[in-house]
Amino acid sequence: MHFYKQSAGRQLFNVINLSFLTIVTFMCVVPFIHLLAVSLSSNAAASAGSVKLWPIGFTLEAYGFLGQKPEFLRSLGVTLQRVVLGTTINMLLVFITAYPLSKTYEQFRYRVYYVWFFAITMFFGGGLIPTYIVVKETGLMNSIWALIIPGALSVWNAVLMLNFFRGIPRDMEEAALIDGAGHWSILWKVYLPVSLPSIATIGLFTLVGHWNSWFDGILYMNSPDHYPLQTYLSTLVTSINIKMITVEDLSTLQNLSERTLRTAQIFLGALPIMLVYPFLQQYFVKGMTVGSVKE
Amino acid sequence: MNQTTASTRKMPLALPRNRRRWKKELPLHLMLIPGVIVTLIYAYGPMFGIVMAFQKFQPALGFLKSKWIGLKNFEYVFNLPDFNQVLWNTTFISVMKIVFGLAVPLMMALLLNEVAKNWFKRMIQTSIFLPFFLSWAVLGGIMIELFSLKGPVNALLSIFGVDPIMFMASNHWFVTIIIASDVWKGMGYNMIIFLAAIVSINANLYEAAEVDGAGRWKQMVHITLPGMASIIILICTLSLGGVLNAGFDQILILYNPIVYEKADVIDTFVYRLGLFDQQYAPAAAIGLFKSAISVVLVSLSYYLAYRFSNYRIF
Amino acid sequence: MKRKIAVYPLIFALLFAFLMLPACSSGDNKNQNPNQSNTSPESSSGDNQTNETENFDPLGKYDEPVTVTQVLSFRPPEEADALPGVKPETSGFVKDLKEMLNIDLKYLWSVPQDQFDQKFSLSIASGDLPDVMQVDLVTFEKFREQGILADLSDAYENYASPALRKIIEKDDRFALNSLTFDGKLLGVTGSGTGGTQIVWIRKDWLDNLKLQPPATLEEFEKVAEAFVNDDPNLNGADDTYGVILNKNLLGWGFDAKGLFYSHGSYPNAWLKSSDGSLVSGNIQPETKTALSTLRSWYEKGILDKEFMLADEDKISEDIVVGKVGISFGEWWYPNWPLNLSKDNDPKAEWIPLQLPSFEGKPGKTLNQRSINSILVVNKEAKHPEAAIKMANYFLEMTKPKYTDKESPDYKGASNGYVYQWFTPRFYYPGVFDLIMETVSAAVEAGQEKLDLPEDFPSAGEAQAVFANAKKFQADPADNSAWGMWFSRGARDGGVGFSKKVVDDGMVVWDEYYGPPTPTMIERRSSLDKMRDETFMKIIVGSAPVSDFDKYVTDWKKLGGDDITAEVNKWYAENANK
Repeated sequence: MHFYKQSAGRQLFNVINLSFLTIVTFMCVVPFIHLLAVSLSSNAAASAGSVKLWPIGFTLEAYGFLGQKPEFLRSLGVTLQRVVLGTTINMLLVFITAYPLSKTYEQFRYRVYYVWFFAITMFFGGGLIPTYIVVKETGLMNSIWALIIPGALSVWNAVLMLNFFRGIPRDMEEAALIDGAGHWSILWKVYLPVSLPSIATIGLFTLVGHWNSWFDGILYMNSPDHYPLQTYLSTLVTSINIKMITVEDLSTLQNLSERTLRTAQIFLGALPIMLVYPFLQQYFVKGMTVGSVKE
Repeated sequence: MNQTTASTRKMPLALPRNRRRWKKELPLHLMLIPGVIVTLIYAYGPMFGIVMAFQKFQPALGFLKSKWIGLKNFEYVFNLPDFNQVLWNTTFISVMKIVFGLAVPLMMALLLNEVAKNWFKRMIQTSIFLPFFLSWAVLGGIMIELFSLKGPVNALLSIFGVDPIMFMASNHWFVTIIIASDVWKGMGYNMIIFLAAIVSINANLYEAAEVDGAGRWKQMVHITLPGMASIIILICTLSLGGVLNAGFDQILILYNPIVYEKADVIDTFVYRLGLFDQQYAPAAAIGLFKSAISVVLVSLSYYLAYRFSNYRIF
Repeated sequence: MKRKIAVYPLIFALLFAFLMLPACSSGDNKNQNPNQSNTSPESSSGDNQTNETENFDPLGKYDEPVTVTQVLSFRPPEEADALPGVKPETSGFVKDLKEMLNIDLKYLWSVPQDQFDQKFSLSIASGDLPDVMQVDLVTFEKFREQGILADLSDAYENYASPALRKIIEKDDRFALNSLTFDGKLLGVTGSGTGGTQIVWIRKDWLDNLKLQPPATLEEFEKVAEAFVNDDPNLNGADDTYGVILNKNLLGWGFDAKGLFYSHGSYPNAWLKSSDGSLVSGNIQPETKTALSTLRSWYEKGILDKEFMLADEDKISEDIVVGKVGISFGEWWYPNWPLNLSKDNDPKAEWIPLQLPSFEGKPGKTLNQRSINSILVVNKEAKHPEAAIKMANYFLEMTKPKYTDKESPDYKGASNGYVYQWFTPRFYYPGVFDLIMETVSAAVEAGQEKLDLPEDFPSAGEAQAVFANAKKFQADPADNSAWGMWFSRGARDGGVGFSKKVVDDGMVVWDEYYGPPTPTMIERRSSLDKMRDETFMKIIVGSAPVSDFDKYVTDWKKLGGDDITAEVNKWYAENANK
């Protein structure tokens, strides 16, 4: 923007700002480099805790171990299915729920009741056992829908979305209304195109949420065959209660030292998101801003 | 009442208008149906479980047959010897986390917005989001090493002539580290929301300001911040909902008996209660207590935001 | 206006309906179950029963298929050569069970070990109790309280095979008696003992410094100080400390239990006092003495300045990397992490020692009696005796001819028999000692193959230890084989040395082995917190040793006295049961 001369103060600010942000970036990346190094090191070095930022005794064993397991690919399949279905459904619901709620009282008389109906659920919940019972009674157990439907509407995200919607200038909507458009077509033709930054934001959260969650897999799946990736990975890294060691645990103790495996799983867990993320980012940085649409 | 009589008098006109209005709003109701159904079943459905807080809950007997004991679970929890201390620790840590958890990402978002180079912006954004993927179980070991007597932080301090500090075993420092590391880990999340808010601000406003000769600082104060105000208030309010969640995983991994007096929080406390016998009922009572507090706080801030800036958060 | 009114009741009616729906239906379930089990046993098992009252065959095949439901704490097979793709439902044990006993085993669900407790409670709360389970004492106690356990007296007496009886009744029916209430046997198991603490020390470091293995606490402290100051690894750097501890003083490894025991202090245990009643080891004066020893060690640098930050898993790095040469602990250390220590430093040599003596008294370890892995049967199960038959069946299937890899009848992971998925499983109480003796004898005799008698319990494990012994003999640098052999096989190794300690009578018994008492459940977390905080602060010097006395007063006041009373009441009722 400012190719031509900048004030000295501005230049100083830029230098300080860039160095500060670089330091922060560094602080955020270093742990990952460390973990990558551990996952690529020999088990002996990893167990000794001597790996810092560069692998010691380089080996791909941990990744090979994860990759050769049929369970790994199967659970990856479940996760992909979950992420695609789940994110689509979540976003759809957030979108169509946030739209009516973003209206004013004049446009939608019942809005406030709906809003509180949803908002209450952000603070009160029944807890683990009753939720489990409801999921079971509604027949979702052991199917992928148990991981998707109970959380299909994130109220938090809907509230976030409705606030983004409110930032959309009213005159755009009114112009469409005058052209005789109904709510549905306003939603798709006016709101959707201008909300891409917020959709990308919330979509990213949803995606990450589906990718990372593992505990619901444990709860609602009755057999490891149906586990999503993170649930499966969490089972590889069981913490062993040595106090209860029995005669049969001949090699459990050996598994305890699988540090490289543990770190490799963290990596694989974050990797796909790290790949998707820069792609989504173009919407935040450039963004199709409301202003640019208006022009 | 007046309205009713008025509308009855104007019946011939009023009815169609009402009907027209209803018809106009119908799509809005339809849009809400899926969300309402899901919420009703999977959020309201399980709320029958709240009764557990008033029962001596035994899983094998279920909700219908477990014994009712009134407020005994609450009495039990509130009378535990160090509950007050734990409650105070929880409040302090969580409030600090909320304040800095908002201020730091906001600052980062504003600073990032001043960066002109796109590739740099993207790179920073991606890296700041990375810690979000790491669990505390993983970070625990890293942090202990980072802050150990021979670790990099103390090495850095020794350059300035500071004697080594045992950060993680110091009641003076521990909580600060808990708060700072939590802010560090979570800052990518709120920063993205803030960035999205900044991007949504009408670019024409900046152009107009530039024509008026406003500098970057003035633009930020007069356009960017006001443009983000609603999102900032929103995130603030919603964060209040978590005012008694000081961060279970993090503290459980990092604390040690020396810093119990400052770092033991409700969730770690409940966890240790359950270690010996799965005490669902006291945990449910504490959960209900937390929900009640957060509803009060959120409603209050909802009201204040509405009262003073005429803004409905949701 | 009109519409506004119409919408509201609708919302509330819907809301109400949904609120009540799950509650009602889960209630229905509970009512249905008894009905089902009331009608079906009469029709299906009636004739079976008459058949079987004549010959109580422990491994008799049912005429009609019998379905038994279970839940599974899942672990992937440990064996590297496990048959790929084998699942709990398709395990060889399940197939053979159907063939031999006509029992259809059905898993309601399976879940990894870590999450088992959580999933189990959820499953119970939603009305899905399986027929046959193996539970710990705490769960047993809860089930008993809730009245959902079947009486197994007849089933056990009539159907238990000799092999099963040999295991269960090794303790002279001690466990069976503890599990009998009002003449009803509600659970089946035997009792075990364990918990022997020993010292693991770097022999090569002792040799480097020309020191003898310490026997008294003074010698022990001298050695530890030498390990701190005299460069035991001879690398010229000040990079070692004396004794390893972690943030759990009474944890599962690398902790201070052994040191407390040396002082005659037994925190967490209930000891017989001079007047015959039980007292808590947490508050005895010996504990105070032990704390001052630890305090002086911390001051002298024998303990790592930051030991209180790391947990067991993290602190084990110090052993692996060779920062420390002494640890209190149990028999399994060579299995992990001592094997890794040798991986990192081939010169590392670890030996076990007895707990050091203190003020002329030998260091006696604590041992606990434990009642665990209790076989229980749901009251509504149609065939309680099927559970006993299944226990018989597992013992039958682990006989030497099935566990010897060369045998044509071999049933192991490589052809789809994954033992850890099958319950109920029982192990002979002294099996560690027995395996150690048998394997040592075979190795000493230079045998190439381990021949086991027909009724040898846990033959598979013995074979595995023997195989590792051979592997270690062939390749002394195979540290993982060394770990297995030195922990479980060698006479001077983990199990062997611990057995010697017990045989020498260097043991104090924890006299309480009942379930947690009501006040324990209510107060233990507060009391433990107070204990850990006080102990740790005394050790690192941020509180004076005299704080221990205040702790004792508070401990008694905040529920300790009530717990003591409850424990003594239990003791009076159960000591001679």
